[in-house]
Amino acid sequence: MTIFAYTFKEGIRKKAFWVSSVIIAALILLLCLAPRILSAFQKDEKEAQEQTQEVQADTEKTGICYFMDETGIFSENIPLFQALAPELDFQVLASDGGDTAAQLEKIRKDIKENQDNAAVIIEDSGTAPSVRVINASFMHQGISMNAVLETCNTIWKTKVLTDEGLNSDAIMKAQTVLAGEEETVGNLDLTGYVMGLVLTFVMFFAVYYYGYGVAMSVASEKTSRVMETLIISAKPSRILVGKCLAMGVVGLVQIGGLLIVGILGYTFLVPDGAQIAGFELSFSNFTAGTAAALLLYFILGYAFYAVLNSVCGAAVSKVEDLNSAMMPVSVVAILGFYLGYFTSVAGGGSNLLAKLALYLPISSPFTVPFRLLTGDMNNSDLGISMGILAVSIAAVSMISAKIYSASVMHYGKKLKWKEIAGMK
Amino acid sequence: MGLIVNELTKRFGSKTAVDHLSFSMDSPGVFGLLGTNGAGKTTTIRNILGIMTPDEGEATWNGTPITRETLAFGYLPEERGIYMKTKVLEQLIYFGMLRGMKKEAARKSAFHYMKKLKVEEYRNMPAEKLSKGNQQKVQLIAAIIHNPRLIFLDEPFSGLDPVNARVLKNLVEDLVEEGKYIILSTHQMETVEEYCKDLVILDRGKTLLQGNLRKIKAGYGHTNLCVSCGCDVDELAHEEGLELFEKRAVETEYKITGDEMAHRFLKRLVDQGIYPIKFEIREPSLQEIFVKKAGENQ
Repeated sequence: MTIFAYTFKEGIRKKAFWVSSVIIAALILLLCLAPRILSAFQKDEKEAQEQTQEVQADTEKTGICYFMDETGIFSENIPLFQALAPELDFQVLASDGGDTAAQLEKIRKDIKENQDNAAVIIEDSGTAPSVRVINASFMHQGISMNAVLETCNTIWKTKVLTDEGLNSDAIMKAQTVLAGEEETVGNLDLTGYVMGLVLTFVMFFAVYYYGYGVAMSVASEKTSRVMETLIISAKPSRILVGKCLAMGVVGLVQIGGLLIVGILGYTFLVPDGAQIAGFELSFSNFTAGTAAALLLYFILGYAFYAVLNSVCGAAVSKVEDLNSAMMPVSVVAILGFYLGYFTSVAGGGSNLLAKLALYLPISSPFTVPFRLLTGDMNNSDLGISMGILAVSIAAVSMISAKIYSASVMHYGKKLKWKEIAGMK
Repeated sequence: MGLIVNELTKRFGSKTAVDHLSFSMDSPGVFGLLGTNGAGKTTTIRNILGIMTPDEGEATWNGTPITRETLAFGYLPEERGIYMKTKVLEQLIYFGMLRGMKKEAARKSAFHYMKKLKVEEYRNMPAEKLSKGNQQKVQLIAAIIHNPRLIFLDEPFSGLDPVNARVLKNLVEDLVEEGKYIILSTHQMETVEEYCKDLVILDRGKTLLQGNLRKIKAGYGHTNLCVSCGCDVDELAHEEGLELFEKRAVETEYKITGDEMAHRFLKRLVDQGIYPIKFEIREPSLQEIFVKKAGENQ
């Protein structure tokens, strides 16, 4: 308890704790403000567009759109095309059946030299006309191919239906755009998907960051030789547990604080129904049960990696050697993360890899949050995964405590993993 | 019953760091654990305290094996280690609480020793701002804050200036008066002669010499003569059969075979009209005994 209290107090007092807290809190608040900032920009953009359109209607044209219609059907509807590119001056070129190729080449050369210009060429190819749009480049599109094609289709269908004897009402009815809505019956929804992925990253960051804190704390005490004073007062296993618990609680305090900032920011700064890039900011997937399970998985995931990291801290004599000593654990953590991440990106599911990611203790802390938020997890899977993780923590803790006890008083050259494994 | 170390042995691979070491301490006082660097002193202490597990033998206190759970011993490690960023008082309370004290009792004890060792004014300063000597005092307080009966001090005087060494010596004397059992490990033999009743001298893990300091020295008899008389008397000494041992700034030390040789030399000096300021017949120093024994063992 004394080691726990002291390590906790030291962890809370560190500058890094406060600096990282302030930076992350600021980012959270910025994220909460993002919908307002974006909507303000979008509003400005819309107004600017409207103004531009108004201005363009009254001002000089910026370029020419050559319009050549071999069929004669479309040139009767120039205003429809003009509406697609108000800034262009539409010049209808006569198609006299002469040297069209030479005419086209001339148009191409002109557009190449005057990049604001464009051309719409409608060729009579027998059964149905074909449409060609010429622009300077993909960056300089005087007129949109899709928009032109859509307009041409409407004109063509109207003509065909009129020729077939349909009245204008029937033609309008036939051309009505049907309303459509996509519905999915699975549990995976976009909000849960995105939030799940975000939480996978957050979980990895938290587990790795606070686990590193444990390793650093142990290595610092070894470097400063305080360890010899500590070790005569408390069992190494108790030091290990006290440190891991304290750093874990430091992590919970920081995450809790950031969560409060997030909740306050969401409540007071995010407007109802706010969207960022079409993604609705909604936390409806966060039930009390989900939150409790997430908290438990953070604790378990952290505990699993923290005890491994503490052994790394105990294996070195100098803090500078810590990163290389942590390499094996880091590799395992990154493997676990990617296993969890990629199976999550693929939408979870019940294939072998997804099941492995769910059950393996190295990856389950990074997999379960996604599954919980997407609703793609049943209670038995949760129970098995949690059980395996808890048993693994117990096993790893027992082994780690022994290695920690043996290596914590070792000074001199850096211990190799082979030597650590052989320690009694 | 006190402290009994019986056949303690520790090996690191093929190297035997401590080889069947036995000694005991049955009354309060200072016991000297001596030896050169690498003799096995720190390893001995670590094995007694259970920081390391001995390959053979055991150490008991009042008949019970020593563990951190059964005995709240005090230990000042050779490698100094305190929390550099933490305030002095705060970490002393922490170390006290680690040894089972209540917070208030730890605070009271910390103040008591800080006052005694003259570091009270630094109590609210981070340790890194203290001088090395004062940091060492803080660590000594951390070792004895919980008022242990058995105290291990590993090279407590190294790095201390004479003033701070005196302060520490006074504290050791006070602790002995309070009835503490102190194991003092050092390679500075001269410091031990001031306190130690009993001692063991280690050389490469083996016991070179052990027993009561007075008896050990008495066993060698009066072998040295220190003379200070303001002029060079080496020639006279040589004529009387004295062997020059060491020439210092204000005195000269000779080796003698017995008290009679010294008396003859004194008579000769007086006959020549030379009256010494200092004329001291003494036993060999611990340092000399160690060098002699180590030489015999080679």
